[in-house]
Amino acid sequence: MSSTRGIKQRIDNVRSVEQIIRAMDMVASTKLVRSRAQLEGVRPIYTELKRISEEVGTLEEAKSNAFYKTREVKNTLYIVISGNRGLAGAYNANVCRKALEHMDGTKNERLVIIGSKGYEYFNRNKKNIVHSIVDISDDQVYYASEDISKKAMELYLAREVEEVYIVYTQFVNVLTNEPVVEKFLPIESSLAPSDVLEKRYEPDLESFIDNLIPLYLHMYLFRAFSESHTSEHAARMVNMDAAGKNASEILEDLNRQYNRKRQASITQELTEIVGSVSVLNKGGADERK
Amino acid sequence: MSEEKRRQTKKLELKITTPRGEKFIEDADMVIMRCIDGNLGVLPGHEPIVAALGDGTLRIINGDAEEKLALFGGVVEVKDDTVRIYSTIAQRLEEIDLERAKADLEAARAAIQEIKDEMQFQNIRALMYRSIVRLEVGLHMEDTSYFDDDSNDEANDS
Repeated sequence: MSSTRGIKQRIDNVRSVEQIIRAMDMVASTKLVRSRAQLEGVRPIYTELKRISEEVGTLEEAKSNAFYKTREVKNTLYIVISGNRGLAGAYNANVCRKALEHMDGTKNERLVIIGSKGYEYFNRNKKNIVHSIVDISDDQVYYASEDISKKAMELYLAREVEEVYIVYTQFVNVLTNEPVVEKFLPIESSLAPSDVLEKRYEPDLESFIDNLIPLYLHMYLFRAFSESHTSEHAARMVNMDAAGKNASEILEDLNRQYNRKRQASITQELTEIVGSVSVLNKGGADERK
Repeated sequence: MSEEKRRQTKKLELKITTPRGEKFIEDADMVIMRCIDGNLGVLPGHEPIVAALGDGTLRIINGDAEEKLALFGGVVEVKDDTVRIYSTIAQRLEEIDLERAKADLEAARAAIQEIKDEMQFQNIRALMYRSIVRLEVGLHMEDTSYFDDDSNDEANDS
């Protein structure tokens, strides 16, 4: 195959790539711990607010409220949460494909894209991107999600869009995550009116809804962000782990090749020495004559 | 009479959930919180109610002890002697940065003089109000003139 020097060079290359992989693996696993804690924190408040919002949705009086009322759909807004960086396996591709599958082209689609990978993807697919956000640092997520939910709410209340979908990656466990499309607005209630305990709403239902929904949507988006981030770090960690293993395998292989080459050249040198010695010995025998 | 007895023996369970998780779970005799249209006091046996919260102090009264928390916005749900509060910010006394609250208040007071835009006015007022709440909780101040505090009016109709 190649010379010993060539193999040596490849070993060095693989070794330095492996170091990068290991470093990324470590970074991803620390980030995973942090974003997982954030996710665990936001999940309870989200589920409870979701429950309260859905309970409100079962009430007759709420059905005419703008947040609950379904209108004929002409314009749809999609909020797609993707990552800014690659090297996370199929993470970005999965969530983008899921979103694209959901857009059937019958409606006027508008997209709000979070993450540069998603932006590139939908730009290639010639979709109408109204807004893109690619520079949110991890600790700004909370405020960013507030801004985005407000923006979506404004568009919705100004009747520029009739429904809002959100596409993100649901974190199940470190090895499994699942891209999902969910309806963000109008709020749909999966509860039956009979399941809901009657209670009083203070100060009155309208103002309660006006206070509840912004908070709920903010928490919804913040949770979706956290789910996506956690999935991304988990996917990256798993992929980097696999890549690290592959790198060590290649290294092992290359080392073996290198050693074999080295041994072969030593053997050859020895044979040459023995050969020349025997030639010299022959000459010696001639001298003895 | 039986109602009275129940009140004496029973306690409220208070749960506060923030985006950082369940912040704390505690028993209390009475909880007084600030809603958007006034104070709401809850005693054991209160009817089921859900209310929108405003910025203000949450008072937790337990026996003779009273604890105060700064609470900004959110929703409260009262059911079966459990008070569940869902809010973005709930701060205990020791979590409040007094210096910052003071600075915020000063800044807001200075800024409010030269504002014409309604939106901006709202923001500044919210900031001002929040810093006042933080100061109140942080300094253990008794209810100041900023609060027209007549806290027991809602508590009695439970």
